[in-house]
Amino acid sequence: MQWKRRLILSAVIFVSLFRFASGAQAQPIRVVTTIPDLADITKQVGKELVEVESLTRGVEFMHAVPVKPSFVPKLNRANILVAVGLDLEISWLPALLEPASNPKIMPGQPGHIDCSTGISVIDVPKSLDRAEGDVHPKGNPHYNLDPLNGKIIARNIADGLARNYPQHKAQFEKNLAIYLAELDKAIARWQGMAAPLKGAKFVAYHSDWAYFANRFGLQQVGSIEVKPGIEPTPNHLVGLAQKMQQERIPLIIYGPQSDRYPKQLAGQSGASVVRLQSISGGAAEADSYLKFIEHNLKSLLAAMKKS
Amino acid sequence: MVSAVLRTPLPLATVLFTVLLLVSERGLAQNSELESLRALVKGMEQQLQQALQRIDHLEKEKGTTATRVDQVEKSVRAGQSAPSALNPAIGMAIDATAEQRSKAGGTFNFRSAEIGVSASIDPYARGYAIFNGSRDGVEVEEAAMVTTSLPWNLQARGGRFFAEFGRLAKFHPHEYAFVNTPLSLDRIVGGESKADGVELSYLFSTPFFLRGTVGSYNQLGAENQRLDDNKSRSWSRFTYLSRLTSYFDLTDNHSIELGTSLAFTPSIRIAGDPQGGSRSLSGLDLTYRYQPLGTLYQGVTVGAELFGNSERLERDSGFRRMFAVGGYAYAEAKLNRHWAAGFLYDNAPSLASPGKKTHSYSPFLTWNLSEFNRLRLQYGYFDDKVREDKAERGQQFFLQWTTVLGAHAHGFRTR
Repeated sequence: MQWKRRLILSAVIFVSLFRFASGAQAQPIRVVTTIPDLADITKQVGKELVEVESLTRGVEFMHAVPVKPSFVPKLNRANILVAVGLDLEISWLPALLEPASNPKIMPGQPGHIDCSTGISVIDVPKSLDRAEGDVHPKGNPHYNLDPLNGKIIARNIADGLARNYPQHKAQFEKNLAIYLAELDKAIARWQGMAAPLKGAKFVAYHSDWAYFANRFGLQQVGSIEVKPGIEPTPNHLVGLAQKMQQERIPLIIYGPQSDRYPKQLAGQSGASVVRLQSISGGAAEADSYLKFIEHNLKSLLAAMKKS
Repeated sequence: MVSAVLRTPLPLATVLFTVLLLVSERGLAQNSELESLRALVKGMEQQLQQALQRIDHLEKEKGTTATRVDQVEKSVRAGQSAPSALNPAIGMAIDATAEQRSKAGGTFNFRSAEIGVSASIDPYARGYAIFNGSRDGVEVEEAAMVTTSLPWNLQARGGRFFAEFGRLAKFHPHEYAFVNTPLSLDRIVGGESKADGVELSYLFSTPFFLRGTVGSYNQLGAENQRLDDNKSRSWSRFTYLSRLTSYFDLTDNHSIELGTSLAFTPSIRIAGDPQGGSRSLSGLDLTYRYQPLGTLYQGVTVGAELFGNSERLERDSGFRRMFAVGGYAYAEAKLNRHWAAGFLYDNAPSLASPGKKTHSYSPFLTWNLSEFNRLRLQYGYFDDKVREDKAERGQQFFLQWTTVLGAHAHGFRTR
């Protein structure tokens, strides 16, 4: 009988030790982000404390992301959701949040980090009418393309993580300071690189690039879409080609859209066509936020040289 | 020496002339310097003026922007403080067709003006309602409460809604990839899975999407006439549902969704049948999608559903338990932002005589003018052996026009 008691005692001690050991191992904070930019910045701010996954890969058009049920378990298990906000994700995220059954990441809850807080929003529509196309009621949501806004995003993420995990606040702040310094250094370099782009006029497929253009001094003078989200008519394209020829506009910028119309316009106007990334992750050379901004700048500079 | 020189008239004149010359030269030089200085100052003045004007312009611009931002903020604040800001989101879908049937003739069919309202009720629930007006009248198609913060991955829904049976039965007809409701869905399920009752869903903690639903309703099916929806009944005459649905990403671009449903009514007593009996309505649905992430608005969807119905029905020889199986399959290719084309095959049995079936074959072509405005052309050939309705026989042509106004989303179920 003695051996049985010893065995039971040993088992109890073993289980207790195991439980203690497994309890001592802190679980990483599970963060789900809507776009890869936010995943990268969250990794920089959270480092080893977070486990981050982006729902989109970076190749999608943000206004037409498929509502995949495979996103639901990810949202269900998330401790934190980081979103762009300004209704960029309106066509797919709300439809996924309801079946995800995770009240703590719903909009307005502490686990929902809206990175648009504190952004100086541009292109806020004067009136809301679908006759104006697929307008964004809260203004242009593509603010991630301005690297100075990247700093605000990082600050919002650090604040959001600290709000939910105050015990790690000092660590988040330290990581944030390192990342912001890195970003500042890159921004100074990009400002120098972008000198040849100052005042360059361009035509865009969709109005994704307003923040980027403002930061680096480019000037959008037309768009391939008739109105946001409304594909061009033949008359619109003819008028645009004439305008581009008259004003000698050197650049046509497009994103995840088809290259059909940009190439057609380029043929008629002699402008260079360049495809840029509106979010990171869409190309191997743009797999982080810093690389993504640099990739866009380099692509533009190369296109300017060609024109 | 100097006085001697001064006393001499010629040298004096020379000296004076030289002095005058020097003075005048110096004066001239000073004048030109002054001129250049004046010009410089003038230039600087102009530059300063321009700079001041630019500053003024920028100040004004800043002021205008600030004023506009203020205005927007004020209007937002005003809107937020107004009671109307708490009103639900409202949207409307209008769906009309021009139809021509070789046996029954043609008609303009005002199919639906569907008003949807939706809003959060409180931190714990959301509410929505769909009111549908058509040439048959106006009805409340759905009006339901959905919980948003139940623990343990649970979600409850109550009221009137399209029950979680199968896939297409939860769609409002204007959301189909094709024009008409498949006859198999109409005959076996009774059109949309409209039901008054309550449902509880559970999201399994699996790495892939797996969701189970149980429900209890008065009855299931918009066209179901077996029981009177308004009468009280014993527990054996309610309809009980169970459904399991799962989804797998095969790759980033390919996915499969699989669902199985069973709606069981323990006791249905039809007039003239002293015995009565249960009714089992079962369904199996499979959806394959090819959605290339990097290519906008393109892809392929293949959807198929199989329905089975088992119940006692009246035949020439009296009441007998009959088992009818039918279903539909369709494929739709989205070619670009504007165009999509596809084909629908439908196999619809008669419930009382399952051997008699209506087969239909319908190619369709969709033109999306924008995200909210759509035209669709469909041809259908109906090979009808049931011969109950001449509108379900022969050739059919449809031209459908569907538009959406305001906020309109049926959410996750009709993705």
